[in-house]
Amino acid sequence: MSKRMAIAVLALLGAFIGLYLTLYKLGVIGTLACSTIGNCETVQLSRWSTLLGLPVATWGVGYWVSVLAIAIAGLQERWVDSPALGFALLLLTGWGLLFSAWLTYVELFVIHAICIWCVTSAVLATVVFVLAFLDWRETRPTRA
Amino acid sequence: MGKDRVEPGRGRRSAVVKPPAKKRSNNAFYILLAVVAIAGVGTITYLTTRTGDARNASPIDPTLPPVQSQGYVIGSATAPIEVTEFADFECPACERFTSITEPDVRARLVNTGTIRMRFIDYPLPMHRNTWNASRSAACADAQGKFWEMHDLIYANQDKWNGEATGNPDKVLKEIARQVPGMDQGKFAACVDSKEMQAKIQAHYNIAQQRQIGVTPTFYIGNTKFEGAMPFDEFKKQVEIAVAAAPKHAPATGGDTSLKSSAKSGAPAAGSTKK
Repeated sequence: MSKRMAIAVLALLGAFIGLYLTLYKLGVIGTLACSTIGNCETVQLSRWSTLLGLPVATWGVGYWVSVLAIAIAGLQERWVDSPALGFALLLLTGWGLLFSAWLTYVELFVIHAICIWCVTSAVLATVVFVLAFLDWRETRPTRA
Repeated sequence: MGKDRVEPGRGRRSAVVKPPAKKRSNNAFYILLAVVAIAGVGTITYLTTRTGDARNASPIDPTLPPVQSQGYVIGSATAPIEVTEFADFECPACERFTSITEPDVRARLVNTGTIRMRFIDYPLPMHRNTWNASRSAACADAQGKFWEMHDLIYANQDKWNGEATGNPDKVLKEIARQVPGMDQGKFAACVDSKEMQAKIQAHYNIAQQRQIGVTPTFYIGNTKFEGAMPFDEFKKQVEIAVAAAPKHAPATGGDTSLKSSAKSGAPAAGSTKK
């Protein structure tokens, strides 16, 4: 499996986590399936769970779907060796990593509660960034 | 890097272009992606329909000490069982229960005399304006208008919540104008004086004492249920509790410390507005 394939699969998982938390935020789900680790509802009901009028989880869905779309595009013959696409993936996942780091910081030091779904999403963001970095190193022009 | 780019429109350099021999099929990958998608949809469907099932249920500790405040009651004093709801006015799941499930509960269980409902505020610390909402509901209760205000507070949660306004009392006073027969001057004075603070604190303490971890939480019979549940599930649990309740006993839930001196805002049987 290529790195872009792995990125696509992980992005799909991330999108489902975002979708689940969005459904909770919209009130479709009464309680979150949250293990004994952490306190999902504290995080999801805090004022930090909304950004620019939309739930943070919804932004997450948008992010993961974008990553998924670019990764799948990157598997098409037309783009498979494209350094521009590799670079776009690197930039996007780099931004995702920074944003996840910020959210995790807020959970730990501001809200003082951890949401296991958010942490899982942050771990996915980290792994996806590492894969995108390795992928970018392969596709970028080697001779400058 | 730009100087030797041969296809600027596509960002591709001739030196990097590989021979087409690498034309592998991605079919296996797409199948994997589809499997993950189906598993994801299945998991979310399971998680969204799971609320109210027995895994959220646990027995109530009968040794808990009596409490000072009785919450707010609606329904008949002779109903065979009492359902207690612990809820936060600013919690989205509580709003959902009130707007989607509670109309059915009132019409088909409360008004028919099957249950009596008791509402206990549990204003959670992460909600900025929930204390204001609880105080205004208590002020409406002072005029016998708790349930009317309760329903309006939830229906307008998007207008007064901590993200919507920094001046919730003003918005709540506007909402209170929709309550027929309410003395607005008295209501405003009550809200401004925060005289209901101690009462809300007492309700908060009741919930803390019972280690309520989720809003809404329901006591139905001898069982505690966490999370909003659909009407069918609610009714099923009520039927189980009614079947287990002793005949002719004054209605109680399993929690005898909340037993019914239903003095606080309790309308008579059949006086519910829905």
